[in-house]
Amino acid sequence: MPYRGSSLALSLRGLSKAFGSTLAVDRLDLDVPRGSFFGLVGPNGAGKTTTLSMATGLLRPDAGTAHVLGHDVWSDSVRAKQLVGILPDGLRLFDRLTGLQLICYSGLLRGMDRAVVTDRAHELLDALGLAEAGGTLVVDYSAGMTKKISLACALIHAPRLLVLDEPFEAVDPISASTIRQILKGYAASGGTVILSSHVMDLVQRLCDRVAIVAAGQIRAVGTLDEVRAGMTLEERFVHLVGGQTDVGEGLAWLRTSSD
Amino acid sequence: MVAHIVGLKWQLLRNGLRRSTPQLVGLVFAGLYGLGVLGVAMTGLIGLRFEPPSDAARTAITVGGSAATLGWALLPVIAYGIDETLDPARFATFAVPRRQLVLGLLLSSLVSVPAVVTTVLAFATVITWSRSVLAVVVAPLAAAVGVLTCVALSRVTSTAFSAMSRSRRGKDVVSLMVLLLSVGIAVGSSSIMERLSAPGLLAEVADLLGWTPLGLAWSAPADIVDGAIGSGLLRLALAMVFLMVALLAWDLLLRGALENPRAASGGRAATRAATRDTGLGCFGWLPATPTGAVAARSVTSWLRDPRYVSSVALMLLLPLGLLVSPLTGGSSAWSLAMAPAAGFLLGWSMHNDIAYDGTAFWAHVATGVSGRADRIGRLAPTAMVGSVLLPGYATLACVLTGRWSLWPAVLGIGLGFLLSGFGVASVMSALKPYPVPGPGENPFGAPPGSSALTVVVQAVAGAAVFALNLPLIGVGIGALLGPVWIGWLCLGLAAVFGSGALILGTWWGATIYERRAPELLADLARIR
Repeated sequence: MPYRGSSLALSLRGLSKAFGSTLAVDRLDLDVPRGSFFGLVGPNGAGKTTTLSMATGLLRPDAGTAHVLGHDVWSDSVRAKQLVGILPDGLRLFDRLTGLQLICYSGLLRGMDRAVVTDRAHELLDALGLAEAGGTLVVDYSAGMTKKISLACALIHAPRLLVLDEPFEAVDPISASTIRQILKGYAASGGTVILSSHVMDLVQRLCDRVAIVAAGQIRAVGTLDEVRAGMTLEERFVHLVGGQTDVGEGLAWLRTSSD
Repeated sequence: MVAHIVGLKWQLLRNGLRRSTPQLVGLVFAGLYGLGVLGVAMTGLIGLRFEPPSDAARTAITVGGSAATLGWALLPVIAYGIDETLDPARFATFAVPRRQLVLGLLLSSLVSVPAVVTTVLAFATVITWSRSVLAVVVAPLAAAVGVLTCVALSRVTSTAFSAMSRSRRGKDVVSLMVLLLSVGIAVGSSSIMERLSAPGLLAEVADLLGWTPLGLAWSAPADIVDGAIGSGLLRLALAMVFLMVALLAWDLLLRGALENPRAASGGRAATRAATRDTGLGCFGWLPATPTGAVAARSVTSWLRDPRYVSSVALMLLLPLGLLVSPLTGGSSAWSLAMAPAAGFLLGWSMHNDIAYDGTAFWAHVATGVSGRADRIGRLAPTAMVGSVLLPGYATLACVLTGRWSLWPAVLGIGLGFLLSGFGVASVMSALKPYPVPGPGENPFGAPPGSSALTVVVQAVAGAAVFALNLPLIGVGIGALLGPVWIGWLCLGLAAVFGSGALILGTWWGATIYERRAPELLADLARIR
């Protein structure tokens, strides 16, 4: 067993998932050391969301195992789920609750004390710049506010591992900077962050470890510098994943300079 | 361009069918149903041709045509949110001249089963009216105007509705309007039908309708056949004017939709102020446990989501339907069924509760909330409603019938239905959620292609609740005929037996839930 105890925040072994005849994740192995700020990058449809869903217990894998800080996500799920905070992508929220209620709901579902939950919820709302919007229904939030409230829900129980699927998608620069600061602070205090994104620049700036996923498998993994191998992350990514078409002399009719 | 838009609708229909077999089956059934309606109505229309006086034909076609036109105008309200395949707002980014867009969207609306049936029937009236040369000339014209008016009116309503529902608040208002309208139609139609069956009245109504925009086109050929050529042509001309007015109105609405495709009526600031709520709401006073949290979330959704609001309203109103007979001088015995009916509806209605969460259910999976907390917490809103409604209805029934000795039996059967319904629902909703309208969609619109599963699950849940309560109903009937103590026995049995069913059901449901929570989430993601 290559499993090395709880020095790993997340350990995936042979994870596979097929949807119909499409293999979304193909015998994927991944280790995320504790305390790292880990970026998962890959093209659309690479299997990032599927992988993260299986790693956090939202989706049952066809084969393989997932361990969070040494706890099996599927056989020891109660303990594993206590240690993880999730921000999924493309799933709804109970959006007829107010922002404050939604955060409290996440805490109370985990069996936390009401006073603690309320205090933390107010602190989170302040930190995320949502204090004013705490009483507004989540359905009326903008995309950025929705991401921020989801992050608050993921943080309420002080998880040891934070799994964020596309946390910066459709987020304005100001909200993005707030989220970045909170995540940096969280990682600096010993928490582990895993985030998926296809904004290479952002991953390069935030993460100390990176994995490149394509077609349901890991193509490269390691520290940022190991993976980059002297190039920018974007160059390395395109190089590994391939498939970029050379536009060359096509689309000539688009060039208006000839007028 | 017009041909392109019509072609687009045809393509969308075909692609939709290619994607899902259930939808194809649905279309086949719709087609068969349409053919059936068509066959019966065609026989009638041809038969009317050989009826010597033309009065029957005039009455039937005017009333039928007006009803069809009204139906078309209201259809988008009832079926709102179902067919937005050719939502005009989606054309906003293409530079399609509006006149062509109007024509294209109008003609593309004819590509559907109901439109084809309406068109065929409208032109079948030509056979009915084939009693003079002039009538044969006027009738097809009138039929074309009539059909186009139907379609144009339905486009006016749907465009107006989609303009209103672009903001959440507007959507909620629309949903509630739909509810009131549906209830109004349901309540009104039976009494109207009853009155209309009086002889001669229908002909009068037809005369009246014949001069309203709804019936102008349909009654024009009747005048021609009767020799009133002037008035017939006048009706036809007026019908055309009305069609033009409808098209202009639609054109105006469309301009709004195209030039301002995402305008949110009311604006964000206003919405924000309106929904401001300072505290925790139910989360502040329900127990601070996972079960209490699920309960608080359910109660909050029930109060704020029109999908629940409308189902609560229906559950309140349907048992009240049993009051119609007592209040109009009929037998008051019907009112005894109110509490049992309410108990049945409330308990049974929870069998698909989880589907209303949609993918927001991930929060339950991610936090690893126990099956017991999820199952029991969800029952809170209905349990609260039931605890007021059942004694209330039982008391009302006793007031109306004057048989107070039946109070315990009536309440008992209601309670039995409610509690065992909860038990059955706790198991069913962990097994097989079926599609429901998403948040902000028409609470009455069923997603297409889902009907078979929906009907099966609903029937199984209903049959299970009913079967579980058969012994209790037996005791209840005993109370109706026998001494008072049987009624109290019935109440006692209901409490013991119902609680048993509830405990067993939630335990079983919780076991299933814990085994397949991720699969439930996958199911919910698929049916959305």
